[in-house]
Amino acid sequence: MTAVAQPRASAWGRLRYRLSVWRREPTVLLGAVLVLILLYLVVAPLIAVLSDAGQVQYGDEEKAGAAAGSVTSFYLWRVFRSPVSQLLFWEPLVHTITVAIGVTLVAFVVGGSMAWLVSRTNVACRGFLSTALVVPYMLPSWTFALAWLSLFKNDRAGGQIGILEAWGVHTPDWLAYGAVPITICLGLHYYPFVFLLFGNALRRIDSQLEDSARILGAGRFTVLRRVTLPLMLPALSSAILLVFGRILGTFGTPYVLGLPVNYTLLSTSLFSAVRNHQQGVASVVTGVIVLIGVAVVLIDTRLVREQTRFVTVGGKGAMDRRSPLGRMRWPATGLGLGVFVVAVVVPVLVLALTTVTRTPGVFRRGNFTLKYWIAEHLDGAPGFPHGVLRGGDLYTAAFNSLRIVGIAALVCGVLGLLVGYVVVRTGGSRLSGVLRQVTFLPYLVPGIAFAAAFLSLFAVRRGPIPALYGSLALLVIVLIVTHLPYSSRSGISAMMQLGREPEEAAQVCGAGWLYRVRRVILPIQKGPLVAGVLLPFVSGLKELSIVIMLTTTGTQLLTTLSINLVDFAYSQMANAVVLVIAVVSFLATYLTQRLSRTSLASGLGG
Amino acid sequence: MPDITLTDVSKSYGTGPAAVTDLNLTVPDGSFTCLLGPSGCGKTTTLRMIAGLEHPTAGAISVGGRVLDSVERGVFVPPERREMGLVFQNYALWPHLTVARNVEFGLRVRRMPARKRAERVRQALTAMQIDWAADRYPAQLSGGQQQRVSLARMLAVDPKVLLLDEPLSNLDAQLRLEMRAELKRLHAETGQTIVFVTHDQLEAMTMATHVAVLNKGVLQQLAAPMEVYRRPANRFVGGFVGSPPMNLIELGDTRSGTEVRRQLDRLRPELLPRVAAVGVRPEAIRIAESGPADDWVFEASVGAVLPTGSSWTVSVTPTSGTDPSASAPVDGGPELYLVSYQDVAATTGARVRCRVSADDLHLFDDDGARIATAPAPAVAP
Repeated sequence: MTAVAQPRASAWGRLRYRLSVWRREPTVLLGAVLVLILLYLVVAPLIAVLSDAGQVQYGDEEKAGAAAGSVTSFYLWRVFRSPVSQLLFWEPLVHTITVAIGVTLVAFVVGGSMAWLVSRTNVACRGFLSTALVVPYMLPSWTFALAWLSLFKNDRAGGQIGILEAWGVHTPDWLAYGAVPITICLGLHYYPFVFLLFGNALRRIDSQLEDSARILGAGRFTVLRRVTLPLMLPALSSAILLVFGRILGTFGTPYVLGLPVNYTLLSTSLFSAVRNHQQGVASVVTGVIVLIGVAVVLIDTRLVREQTRFVTVGGKGAMDRRSPLGRMRWPATGLGLGVFVVAVVVPVLVLALTTVTRTPGVFRRGNFTLKYWIAEHLDGAPGFPHGVLRGGDLYTAAFNSLRIVGIAALVCGVLGLLVGYVVVRTGGSRLSGVLRQVTFLPYLVPGIAFAAAFLSLFAVRRGPIPALYGSLALLVIVLIVTHLPYSSRSGISAMMQLGREPEEAAQVCGAGWLYRVRRVILPIQKGPLVAGVLLPFVSGLKELSIVIMLTTTGTQLLTTLSINLVDFAYSQMANAVVLVIAVVSFLATYLTQRLSRTSLASGLGG
Repeated sequence: MPDITLTDVSKSYGTGPAAVTDLNLTVPDGSFTCLLGPSGCGKTTTLRMIAGLEHPTAGAISVGGRVLDSVERGVFVPPERREMGLVFQNYALWPHLTVARNVEFGLRVRRMPARKRAERVRQALTAMQIDWAADRYPAQLSGGQQQRVSLARMLAVDPKVLLLDEPLSNLDAQLRLEMRAELKRLHAETGQTIVFVTHDQLEAMTMATHVAVLNKGVLQQLAAPMEVYRRPANRFVGGFVGSPPMNLIELGDTRSGTEVRRQLDRLRPELLPRVAAVGVRPEAIRIAESGPADDWVFEASVGAVLPTGSSWTVSVTPTSGTDPSASAPVDGGPELYLVSYQDVAATTGARVRCRVSADDLHLFDDDGARIATAPAPAVAP
């Protein structure tokens, strides 16, 4: 009964057999098509941007001393070694690192302590705090920047002064603009990352580990120092790296708060290079951002892998354990509520107030006005001569936003589930692995770098693909690609959870492919599909750094409209538009969580 | 006669080791055939290939002369056209459909008229004694009840062959016993061809009419269950079927190895050169002072006595067979296990005399294959 060498099937026979299998099961074909399209959309832009960095661009022939299209190290020299390199690259790099470290610290201190309070102590209003403290992440990140300006802006830059100046309190430049406010504003936006990830880890830690230490005679603080915190380390470092990666690609806040004092980050430096049509320089900066982004993610995956060595998830031990705070209970509650007030109530209130007062900070009857919202005509605002709710601009932008983000989200949700379907159905094969990796690739690249890369690729006609710059289609595509990692991951995990058996059972029962998809897969995956559409929709609505470089006057979105108004120094109207976005995105997030019972944490991709 | 025939079937994934190698297997019509083997032996892969869910890399599969897979000829019949039934290990009921709808699914696909459909669904559910749950959703049922629905779903379409993939492994002991009886009743009533995958040799022994033992993708033996038990084709089968497992004694220089060699030398000197190891079932070792003259007799010291209620499992270490007075310490002879159905009135450290009748020695050669000791009346399936 041992194996006897049998004549093997001929190559021709095997091929014919494989073809007839593929004909019956479109999964492989579907997967191959997906891989090809995604490879083009994900890899081609990166190649385009790299080749732009090494080729003389049109208009630069004289400076580079070579013909357009020839290979050059001119841009590398310009960015890294030339007299302007300080301004173009080195300063922004130092600023980016400074801000990133600062933001990470703020996010760690605020998010970490709040996570501890909410998940491990008997602090009052726990239910409220655990939801309320996440709200800052539901607001567009530069909401805080605009609120900051409304409070602290001095007369250095044009437009209206802030409330403090109006009250006669002079605010120095370092407080009004630059590193300090950028760090604080981004810290307030990103601490929910740490709050969610850290809190999650805290809740899942096996309390038997801590109990063992207690029984062996360790005091409460020794347990915290020697057992709990070391166990939390991987989750913590992962959260911190995630925040760090996000800072790299964030645009709105450094633009609003840094520009008046020329405090540039890599993202804003990239933006001005693109705006000034320095394609070569922009490509080099993009390359650097991509490199740092890849490094951050690689370190993170390494840490996460190590994290699996820490088996902190317990069965019965993973129960809720809250230590009593004693006399500190109410002060601690006050601290929690204080964070909510500072991070949500104050910014939103300030923004709202500026849109209804003529002179900021003056709360007399005659000073209140609704003109910035509804006036038919506004004097002194030639760029936007009417209230926000008047004229077509807001509605056009809102319509564009809904349309573009809506289509992108829909495609994302369906694509995510399709990717999940193919990955699970072809599990273990090379196709499955490749598809997994390709859909994960955009995660390595900060959004703003991706946008720049798309600009490189689609600025001109390439083969059968027309120049897409300035079209809505380009915005849709870039939104899809940047959200792909999240939606394909959730699609994969949804399909993994389902497994292939339900579909195979239908297959054995005699159902063809379309019938199976229609009657079995789709009905079962309805929930994940809705979530897979809603999550990218919510995050796309407040997306700025990805779309800012790709929009033109004809393709204005809500977010870019508000930045335009900032450019015009119409702060009341910019604030009003941001408020609209904040309200819409908050409601959408809230509804999403209600409808799909998904938590925001799953959308973080952490 | 719709026999299921697998001809030279091989299956490998990527560059890894083959899951199934040159499998030749005929499942007779109307049989209850069990694919038995440890996890990773290729039994589930084989079942899924029969169902058409996996595709062989070589070979052919046919049912009743109809070719379903032939790599050489490029023939592939998709699972939905094979008219088979497959019950999954985790039941794979569709969570969004009620029990009745689940069972109805295959009939709807076949465009059966509504009235006939309802009748068939009722029949199938009644046959599995689960008709009371028709309007419930799978999530509201226990594992055993889901199992019954899963069977009813496949029975409703009246498949030519019913395939079961470890269907009892997720049930608790009591339910498993019930479902074993149920499946055996089902087979007796319908006469349906059933192919059943399990890693539990007891399941295979109790239910199957034919057992195919697989290991590392290679078929080891295909025979009736008792034949597999009584005349294992090789060391692997001997060790795998039976609980506690067969004692395997290498003819090396261990104490029991020397003992058994002396015994063989006495009884079957002509076979001795070919024998590499001897297998003895625990049930075949008796603790007795006297017996037939051709018994293999050895002295042993008792390690532990493990009563199970109906029997006693005893671990013993052979000391010396010829010299009862020898009290030399044990020098690395392997421990043997024996099962006694009478109370073993011995405690740890006690000396006992063990006997094994000559017929109960299974001889294996260097390759592990069985050496026939007598013209065996082979029960070829």
